[in-house]
Amino acid sequence: MSLGVALCLALAVLSAWIAAAALWRLRTPLERLHAVTFVNVAGGGAVLLAAGLTDGLSPRVLKCAAIWLAILLIGALLGHVTGHALHIRDGERR
Amino acid sequence: MTGLWLAAALALLPPFALAVVASGRAALRFRLVAVQFATSLATLLLVALSFALDQPATIDLALILAVLTLPGTLLFALFQERWL
Repeated sequence: MSLGVALCLALAVLSAWIAAAALWRLRTPLERLHAVTFVNVAGGGAVLLAAGLTDGLSPRVLKCAAIWLAILLIGALLGHVTGHALHIRDGERR
Repeated sequence: MTGLWLAAALALLPPFALAVVASGRAALRFRLVAVQFATSLATLLLVALSFALDQPATIDLALILAVLTLPGTLLFALFQERWL
């Protein structure tokens, strides 16, 4: 059980570091948006899995699932809004 | 088990610090993305701290932050699109 939690947490931390490196290295803001989505999906999922392995089915894990769901849905919407704002700001309206 | 969560929370701090610095000092068109990234990491960090400190109530902070990201970032995007 502890090994599974450690692996999931390591995956979450690794995804955060990879996304931070991508945020540092990618050139355009629209490319950098992919790093945010990556950490939302991979990091949030890994943390939810680690929480489930730690607590079992508990209210805290259900809140973790709600957080992940909110992050995914709101993140998708905000990614669209951010891309739209960046396009208009850079004068690339389509 | 809480040691693993504490280690994960500590390991999440450097990417979070990078995102905070980028959201304050990067070029203006990168700041909105950096703010989103910092918010996502802060949510994960609060969840990890809730397990690390064994305080179940503190996970509500992460839930509230995840929900409040929507109006905050929308407002920032609107300002960046029109006025900044």
